[in-house]
Amino acid sequence: MIALRRRCWCAWLIAGILGTLTVSSASSGDVDRQFELSLSGQFFPNIKSSSADVRQQFLTGLEAEFTSDFDSDHLIGTLLPYGRIASSGGEMNHADIRELNLLYAADDWEAIAGISRVFWGVTESGHLVDIINQTDRLEGFDGEDKLGQPMVRASRLLDQDVLDLYVLPGFRERAFLPSDQPLALPFPIEEDKALYGARNGQQHVDLAARFSGYRGLVDYGLAWFSGTSRDPEFIVQPDGTFRPRYPLINQWGLDVQLTLDSWLWKLEAIHRAFETEALASDFSASIGGAEYTIYELADSLFDLGLLAEWHFDSRDDRTTVPLQNDLFIGMRASFNDTQSSEFLAGVFSDLDDSSGSFRLEASRRVLDDARITLEAQTFLDVDSDNAISYLQDSDFITLSLRLFF
Amino acid sequence: MRHPSVFFVVIALLLPQLSLADASDGKVQGLEIATEADKRDSGWQFQSSDMEMILRNRAGKESRRKISSRQLEVEGDGDKTLSLFHEPRDVRGTAMLTFSHGLEPDDQWLYLPAIKRVKRISSRNRSGPFMGSEFAFEDLSSQELDKYDYRYLRDEPCGVYQCYVIERIPLYDNSGYTRQIVWLDEAEFRSIKIEYYDRKDELLKTLDFSDYQEYPGGYWRADTMEMTNHQTGKSTTLLWFNYDFETPLDSGDFNKNALKRLL
Repeated sequence: MIALRRRCWCAWLIAGILGTLTVSSASSGDVDRQFELSLSGQFFPNIKSSSADVRQQFLTGLEAEFTSDFDSDHLIGTLLPYGRIASSGGEMNHADIRELNLLYAADDWEAIAGISRVFWGVTESGHLVDIINQTDRLEGFDGEDKLGQPMVRASRLLDQDVLDLYVLPGFRERAFLPSDQPLALPFPIEEDKALYGARNGQQHVDLAARFSGYRGLVDYGLAWFSGTSRDPEFIVQPDGTFRPRYPLINQWGLDVQLTLDSWLWKLEAIHRAFETEALASDFSASIGGAEYTIYELADSLFDLGLLAEWHFDSRDDRTTVPLQNDLFIGMRASFNDTQSSEFLAGVFSDLDDSSGSFRLEASRRVLDDARITLEAQTFLDVDSDNAISYLQDSDFITLSLRLFF
Repeated sequence: MRHPSVFFVVIALLLPQLSLADASDGKVQGLEIATEADKRDSGWQFQSSDMEMILRNRAGKESRRKISSRQLEVEGDGDKTLSLFHEPRDVRGTAMLTFSHGLEPDDQWLYLPAIKRVKRISSRNRSGPFMGSEFAFEDLSSQELDKYDYRYLRDEPCGVYQCYVIERIPLYDNSGYTRQIVWLDEAEFRSIKIEYYDRKDELLKTLDFSDYQEYPGGYWRADTMEMTNHQTGKSTTLLWFNYDFETPLDSGDFNKNALKRLL
């Protein structure tokens, strides 16, 4: 059944917020509720497996969101649980508390305590600077699905800038796809035996800070993170299995966007220093590029965006780093119709060998309060020693219907 | 304010040369009327409201959007606006922050709740449709006096009112219109009707304002706006509710953080 893959690091807070939401709901009835039910079919046409369960599977997910302002102008409480059941069962069934927090907002500062999600960054084809939340690999291949992270954040709000300070107690391990899944890493992972750079393991308290804002046409953010890396390394064991290892790191991140008429110029860059033993040495990485939009193409309602982003990583090893010197070229189309139809298609090409992959995302509103989404990715001519060679036969198509109520 | 034709006579007597120029194109009078309309709708400082949008295609099929918004008047610059989308439900929680700057490009950010991302977006797309409706972004944006060149055309009855009819030509870049004809009632300077002419100078749309209500401070707001597209046969109705000029708002309610904490 559904395994709740998270530790309740501060049961009092959860109990407190649940209690308050319940009381508030009972007393004033001002808890705002919304739900999203998603029904998905996932197909792997080229997979070399005899198991029908792996070649196609069906996923049913439910996300609920409860919010309340407790009849106050300053306080907001949020509870956002998510659960999913998969036809292939086992570890593919999972659940997470993505948010459970209280936010206090004053005129020139705000603070949040609890489980929350945070996004940093500007680029489209990858996210380097974004580091607060652990990636939920069970949910999506693109890495945009995140696990809730326990945190206390205090923010000082200036006229055009914000200074955010984070204390992050309680580490969330990466959720890996089970080894029989098509997009899973190509080796057996001993998830229960993770190694940590920090002596106190998952109890290590990470710290982060970000200064962000805008001046005129430029939006910027400078971030610092000190704590347990969200990205695991894999340490091979004598029995041939692999243990994830999460070293302690110090990371600086910069993101900048210049918004110039129809052009968006974007840059994300990080420098990561390892504070404890690691397979990799300190490195820098960046994603830089632009998006140009042709509005009302040929006098129609149709907007066409052209994207190019270059991924660079100083480790310069195409066999271990998927995006070490890769170019993303893409196209975004907005139909500006009543159904808000849109699609994004693009190709990642490794500039050091011939490997590449093509990705497509398309969606359209149906039945007033539902949305149908198509996501597909195919791996093209992947070099046998490229870091993504294990994905060669994992082309997939996911068709989803999401109902909102 | 004085009747513009009286004003015109006074100007004509005092400044014969200017009056000659003006007799040919009515620019002074046009600007005078637009300035008075702008003055009467200034000084509200902040306001908030809820809006329902009903989109109708040629066959009469309807779809709906619900949006709440708040605005802050900025001295010497365009207004700040924060809009929160409620329906359709697949975009629920999406929010848009706009700092308008008259003739200069607006600063605009979009908040996407599913990934908790705030994106700076281009405000280049003034003439594009707002949420698939017959309203373009420029039709709903902050109406600053310096965004247009004005010309007085005539006086004429417009429904139950007597109206000034003025032409205005967008001066900002990337407008979808060559010109607009605006009917303003002579008593209160409220917009009663606007005709929009496309880039080929053909009549594209008509916007009709109705059910005006007066709010504290003497500010008038139309509860109903009906935009008809003559070229496609589609139309969009805006219904406005819960206008509030009392609950104080300041610049702290209009920043990137505020986008993320709307309910």
